[in-house]
Amino acid sequence: MNRWKKKKTETIKPFKRPTLAGDGFGGRIGYFVTRAITNIRQNVFVNVVTIGTITLALLIVSLFLLVFVNLESAAENWSERVQVTVYFDKELTPPEQNALRGKILALPGARSVAYVSREEAMKRFKNRLRGQETILEGVRPEVLPTSFEISLKRANRDTLGVESFVSALKRIPGIMEVQYGEEWVRRFNSFLNFARLLGGLLGGFLVVAVIFIVSNTIKLTIYARRDELEVMSLVGATSFFIKAPFLLEGLMQGIAGSIISIALLFGLYEGFLHNAGSFLTFNPVTSGLGFLPLEYVGGIFLAGALLGFIGSLTSLKRFINV
Amino acid sequence: MIQLHNVSMAYQQDASALDNINLKIGKGEFVFLTGPSGAGKTTLLRLLYGALSPSRGQVLIDGQNVSRLPASQIPYLRRSVGVVFQDFKLLQNRTVFENVAITLEVLGWGRADIGKKVMHILKQMGIESKFNMITQRLSGGEQQRVALARALVNDPKILLADEPTGNLDDANKNQILSIFREANVRGTTVVVATHDRRLIEQSHKRIVMLNKGEIVEQMEKEKNRDDQAL
Repeated sequence: MNRWKKKKTETIKPFKRPTLAGDGFGGRIGYFVTRAITNIRQNVFVNVVTIGTITLALLIVSLFLLVFVNLESAAENWSERVQVTVYFDKELTPPEQNALRGKILALPGARSVAYVSREEAMKRFKNRLRGQETILEGVRPEVLPTSFEISLKRANRDTLGVESFVSALKRIPGIMEVQYGEEWVRRFNSFLNFARLLGGLLGGFLVVAVIFIVSNTIKLTIYARRDELEVMSLVGATSFFIKAPFLLEGLMQGIAGSIISIALLFGLYEGFLHNAGSFLTFNPVTSGLGFLPLEYVGGIFLAGALLGFIGSLTSLKRFINV
Repeated sequence: MIQLHNVSMAYQQDASALDNINLKIGKGEFVFLTGPSGAGKTTLLRLLYGALSPSRGQVLIDGQNVSRLPASQIPYLRRSVGVVFQDFKLLQNRTVFENVAITLEVLGWGRADIGKKVMHILKQMGIESKFNMITQRLSGGEQQRVALARALVNDPKILLADEPTGNLDDANKNQILSIFREANVRGTTVVVATHDRRLIEQSHKRIVMLNKGEIVEQMEKEKNRDDQAL
C-alpha cells in the first residue's frame, strides 16, 4: 500500500513525513473521535434534529412496548384464573388426598394442586355473601362438595392445552366430575391471540416507519456535507477514513437519542403513575403497572446505537463510491 | 511519469470525450493542455487522478496502470497527485488552515506537524495572515491560492490544475504561474489545462493542444520559445 508514497529527497522537501503514534487503525481512533465531536459542534442544528428524530422514534416504539408488556403481564395474571376443578361428593382422607395429588401433579402441565375441604368451601361461600349471611341460614357444610383446584403451567393455559389436560385428568381413577369454564378459557385465549397479532402488526409497522424516518434524516445530514466527503476522497482519503467519523457520529447520535428517549419514557411512566388516578377508575400505583424490564431498556439502548450506526452506514454508501 | 496509450473515453456510447490519445509526460515536465471548451481537457485530467476509468486504452502514472487499479488503491494514487479544480472545491465554512490541513490529516500526520507544514505552505502562497479566515470570505485569487496550497502541501509527484487562472487578474495570474514554476523546479511534474493563451505564451513550456477529444498539435518547449521569438 506504500507504492504511491514519495521517496524523499532532502533538497526538495523542507519537511519530512513524520513517523507517528497516530499511524494505523488504533492510533487514528483519537482522530476519528475528535473529528466526530468537532462535526457535531460545527453542525449543532442538524445534530439536534437527528437526535430529536431518533429520540421520538424510540420513544414511540418504547411507549408501545411499555403498553404491550403491561398488557401481557395483565393477561398473565388473568390467565391464573384458568383453573381446573375436580369435585368430589365426599370428604377425602389425607392419604386419599395425597395419592390423588401425586397422580395429578404427575400429569404434564399441572403446576399446583390445592385441596378444598367442605369447611374451606363453606368459608369461601360465606365470604362471598358477606352482608347477606341470612341466605346461608340452615345451610350445612355437608351440602357443599369438596374439590381439588388445579392451576396449570403457563403453556397449558390455552384452549387446547386445557382440553388435553382435562382428558388426561379424567383417566385418573376416582376422578369423575371436572369443571374448567370452557367458554371463558376459549374467549380469553382468542382475545389474547388477537391482541398479540394486532400488537405484533402495529409494532412491526412502527419499527419499519421509524427506521425509514431515521435513515432519511441521517441521509439528509450527510447529503448536506457531501462536499466534505468529495474533498476528502480527492486528497486521497481511504473510504474507511472518510466513513469512520461519520459512523462514530451516527453512533453517538443513536446513543444520545436512546438515552433521552428512555429518560422521557421513565418520566412519562412516573407522571402517569402519580397523576392518572384522578381520571382513571383504578389507582395505577397499586394496579401493578410496571416499567419496562431491564433487558427491554438495554434493547432500546442497543436499538438506538444500531439505528444511528446503520443509518449512517447505508447513507454513506450513496455518497462514497471510491 | 504519465503515459497514455490509445486512450479513449466515452461518457455515452456515441459521443467520445477523448479519442485514441497517446501522450507521454516525463518526470519533472511542465505541460499545458489547451484547446477549446469541450475539447477533453478536464476529462484527460480526471483520468490522471483516477476519477474516471478510460473506456479503452491504458493510463500509466509512475508505472502504475490506473485503469487496472482496484478502487481501494485509488486513494494512494491520489496522495501523490495534487489537484487544483476549476471550482476550487474548498470547504466554504471552514478556515483556510483547515482546508489545507485536510490533505495531511488524511495521511495521518500529527497536529503539531500539520500546523508547521500548513503555515509553511501558506507563507509560500502569501496568505499566511488569512489562515484563520473562512474561505467563503476570501477573494477569488486568495481562494485559488488556498486550493493550490492544499494540492501542494503534501509535495506531490504530480500537480494537475484545471483552468487555474480562470477568473484572475494579471497580477494574480502571474503569481499563480510562478507558484507552478517553483513546484516544477522542486521536481513536481505539472500539467495545467487552460485556454488562456497569454499564460501559455508567457511560460515557454510544452503545449498539448486538444480538439474534439483528439490531440491536434504538440509543441515542444523549444519550438514554443521559437514561436515567441518570431
